[in-house]
Amino acid sequence: MKTKRIVTILLLLCLVITSMPLTVPTALAEDDDEWYTYTYSYWKEETASPNAYSVTNTLYGMDIDPEIGNLNNPKGLFCIGNLLFICDTGNNRIIEAYKDEEDGLYKLSRIIYQVNVSTTVADAMQYGDKVDNTLFQPTDIFVKPMTEELRRSYGDYLGDPYIYPEDDSATEQGGDAEPTPTEEPKEDAADETETGDSGESGDGGESGEGGEATPTPTPVPQQGPKKDNVVRKQLDNEMYDLFIADKEHKRVIHCDYNLNVINVVKNPVDDTLPKNYEFKPNKIVADNALRVYAQADGINSGLMEFDQKGEFTGYVGASKVVVSLARKIWRKLQTRAQRNRSTQFVPTEYNNLSLDSKGFIYATISAVDEQDLWAGTATPIRKLNAMGSDILIRNGNSFPIGDLAWSSKLPSVRGASKFTDVIAFENETYACLDMTRGKIFVYDFQGNLLYAFGGIGFTRGRFSQAIAMDNLDEETILVLDTTRGTITEFSMTRYGKMINEALQLYKTGYYDESAKVWNEILQFNGNFELAYVGIGRALLRQEQYKEAMGYFESAHDIENYSKAFQKYREEVVEKYIFYAILALVALIFIPKIIRKIIKVRREIKEA
Amino acid sequence: MKKFLSAIAGFFHGESWANYKKTLRYAFYVILHPFDGFWDLTHEKRGSLAAANTITILAVLTHLWDRRFANFMVNNTRWSEFSIWLNTLGILVPLLIWVTANWCVTTLMDGKGRFLQIYMGTAYAFTPYVIIGLPMILLSNVVTKEEGVFYTYFNIFALVWSGFLILCAVLMIHDYSLLKGLVAIIISIVGMAVIMFVVLLFFSLLSDAVMYFVSLYKEILFRME
Repeated sequence: MKTKRIVTILLLLCLVITSMPLTVPTALAEDDDEWYTYTYSYWKEETASPNAYSVTNTLYGMDIDPEIGNLNNPKGLFCIGNLLFICDTGNNRIIEAYKDEEDGLYKLSRIIYQVNVSTTVADAMQYGDKVDNTLFQPTDIFVKPMTEELRRSYGDYLGDPYIYPEDDSATEQGGDAEPTPTEEPKEDAADETETGDSGESGDGGESGEGGEATPTPTPVPQQGPKKDNVVRKQLDNEMYDLFIADKEHKRVIHCDYNLNVINVVKNPVDDTLPKNYEFKPNKIVADNALRVYAQADGINSGLMEFDQKGEFTGYVGASKVVVSLARKIWRKLQTRAQRNRSTQFVPTEYNNLSLDSKGFIYATISAVDEQDLWAGTATPIRKLNAMGSDILIRNGNSFPIGDLAWSSKLPSVRGASKFTDVIAFENETYACLDMTRGKIFVYDFQGNLLYAFGGIGFTRGRFSQAIAMDNLDEETILVLDTTRGTITEFSMTRYGKMINEALQLYKTGYYDESAKVWNEILQFNGNFELAYVGIGRALLRQEQYKEAMGYFESAHDIENYSKAFQKYREEVVEKYIFYAILALVALIFIPKIIRKIIKVRREIKEA
Repeated sequence: MKKFLSAIAGFFHGESWANYKKTLRYAFYVILHPFDGFWDLTHEKRGSLAAANTITILAVLTHLWDRRFANFMVNNTRWSEFSIWLNTLGILVPLLIWVTANWCVTTLMDGKGRFLQIYMGTAYAFTPYVIIGLPMILLSNVVTKEEGVFYTYFNIFALVWSGFLILCAVLMIHDYSLLKGLVAIIISIVGMAVIMFVVLLFFSLLSDAVMYFVSLYKEILFRME
């Protein structure tokens, strides 16, 4: 009997042990044959989603124009209007292309090897012992649309160096440094654009010229018609100013669209910087006040900020160093030698930044501790306001950190997501590019993951080392793969557009209309929890509390469920309070009355 | 049939049923007068194993019902991964290991309690968890998220109370001083870890041994062909 008992107990134990769930994180969508686009559920599980973006084009340098050849280790990408700038870092050039709206193809407009230097900025353009107007491994370009007003209002700050077109050839000086053969046609071409800009505004007769764009290797005849096209596009009010991070020349060049240098940011001087500090800007943006923010090598106290004159004014978005109590105690216990040997508390280093339409800086940090990511204390994406503090909203089920599950063991998954680029859209959604997995994560303004897609691989829409991206318009994303030298164009599908529409309707206060769209989205993707919340909110406003509770429960939205439940409870209580009071009164008085009757009867009997 | 019914009726009027009711009711006395209560539980035989089993089963049911019926605002159960057996054993197996470990330790530390007495004391200590936990399940369904903290705090309170009662049970059943009781509990917890380790080791070795013979058998089959 006793042995039987023991055996049963052991068997039960066995059962317990075998059925303990293994806590190894798994990442389902890593395999190529699994789904492509996914979201995370409340339980932080990857759930399949319809494609929000589809690959519409993959471009090598040659596909844009044979003249370009192959891109060599390109690092930066910038889109504005229909223009596309590629920093072909390894070839020391910047390629400017445009998307032809008629046939949807990308075409070359020019290749930038050097800039035009005037006498006033010649000193600033000095590199080594001579004026150097070439680019040396440019890593990033930022283009700022300038209006005449803007240029005039900052004219005082800029001082005299801005050279108007007619002065251009007169003050030309940079050419003496390197008389390369490609230089001359470039400058001629630049002059051509200017004349085109001012004179031929009403001229629509370029169709014949556009037709003659045969793939001839000589650059000069090709650039004429192509440039006209570009000029026509930006004719009315916009003049673009270019900010080029000329990394190995240790400067940021600010020039106008015709490459006349206006200003140069170089050699920042400050007490916080080391004596022999070499300014190597990687990524730059310029805000509406023409302040330049740069992410530079070896700077870990935030983004460097420069004023309109190019003077270093300080850091923005320095991360606070928080030392845990345990760490402090541990340091107290260490010897001096150990303390020196142990890692310093270094704040994190930004690796990319971009500007949204309202002037906030979105910045990414790739050097984050995986432990911090698990704990939710790391912030690989930040939205910085003018004060430099992080104002990104993180109300989602999980923080915007990319993939939520990773392991160091599986060969296909290599640690946590490392963001290398971020772009903010008009509607405050933002997309982040994860280099470790070649994935793009798109979050809404509340920090909910809308969808993630991409991956490492050789098929369309997968990358080997995605390094930069930008959005050509609100529905087209371009991603630059640095090792392959390709640009992949993603276009938004109907599903993605519906999500944007629903978000937009909700944000502008059309709750019922947004619920309709969310309902349609559910037809595509029943796993999309955000849609349930959207419908639930609309129902809540329509005072259909019971139904709203159901939707919120599907999405595990406790906050809103509680709100709906509170209203529902009020409704129920109001409905039944009369009966409840009646029942209570009955409960109290009926037994008393019965007792009284019995008593009276007994008295009658006895009497 | 009539005989059977009368037998049942007889049981409910019998002495053992009355004793069961009395010992079960005694749980209320124990949780309010722990020192006195646990002393009498074993020394005066005012508790019974039947009542202890009842409380254990109720505790398991409370836990299961809590997972099943508590409002989803306070209940983060993932139904696709919920196993009723795992949750049941999640209470019963630690209880068994605890009683075993405590019995082993206190035998060496001049404890007066026997195995079943330790079990009885521990089971009686679960009473607050049951009598607070069950109403809290109902309460959780009529409160909002903000009011839901009551649910949390009352449940924590119940667990603290139960924990305190287990300490009292150890002190009284084994006739220990406070310090000795605390030491015994700590060693028991270490003992629980050791037991789990040994069981795991045993099963892994067992499976290795089985695998050895299986492969031996396969090898022989292979050679014979």
